[in-house]
Amino acid sequence: MKTELYAVILVICSSLIGAFGPIYLKKGTDRITSKLSSIYANKFLIFGIFLYGTSTLLFIPALKGGDLSVLYPLVGLSYVWVCFYSSWLLKEKMNFLKWLGIFIIVVGISLIGIGV
Amino acid sequence: MKTKLWAIILMVVCTVFTSSAQILYKLGAEKLIFDIVSIITNWQILLGLVFYGIGAVLVIISFRGGEVTVLYPIITSSYIWVTLGSWYFLKESISVVRWSGVLLIMMGILIITLSKKSESGEEIIKYAEPVE
Repeated sequence: MKTELYAVILVICSSLIGAFGPIYLKKGTDRITSKLSSIYANKFLIFGIFLYGTSTLLFIPALKGGDLSVLYPLVGLSYVWVCFYSSWLLKEKMNFLKWLGIFIIVVGISLIGIGV
Repeated sequence: MKTKLWAIILMVVCTVFTSSAQILYKLGAEKLIFDIVSIITNWQILLGLVFYGIGAVLVIISFRGGEVTVLYPIITSSYIWVTLGSWYFLKESISVVRWSGVLLIMMGILIITLSKKSESGEEIIKYAEPVE
């Protein structure tokens, strides 16, 4: 099966959006207090879950337009985006070992996607 | 912020739940007929949904205990559990390429979690109390 360009673009968009999910979940969890409303009325948590949902909705039609072996490595890219977003929005520090680990994981996900 | 050991363990436990959910869905889907009764009485699918819910709660708790750049990549350990589960429970054959992928993911996660030495378990007690 030939992978269509639209599927590749959709998956990349989906991963770029979805990678904001954990950032806002993290912002949300840091604001949880002993009050129950700090969970169910937590704007950050709700937005984080919304981002996940949006990303999934983009991903499903993409699956129809291409091979998993091509699309899976692109899904792995979301772990790269999360690192960029975390250092940008959460001021977390990246280091050589973290980048090395992410690189190895993305290669691993690609191999699982290629399968054979 | 240093990533706590309990947060790392919680994230791994979370992936065990979500991966079990996927294996359960597969088992459930195999005997599924498309009428509403067979879906809502399918215990594998129902248990899978419960496991997904537990997984989501665990992610949120885990995020309280550390950095996203350390904790988020740990979610990829679900690839390890799903591959092992498909091989053992679903009797799927796994190629050498897939097993190497699993091995690489394990290595990657180890490198990331060891990149910053986590603090020991005594923090659990402090974090278990509600935060004002």
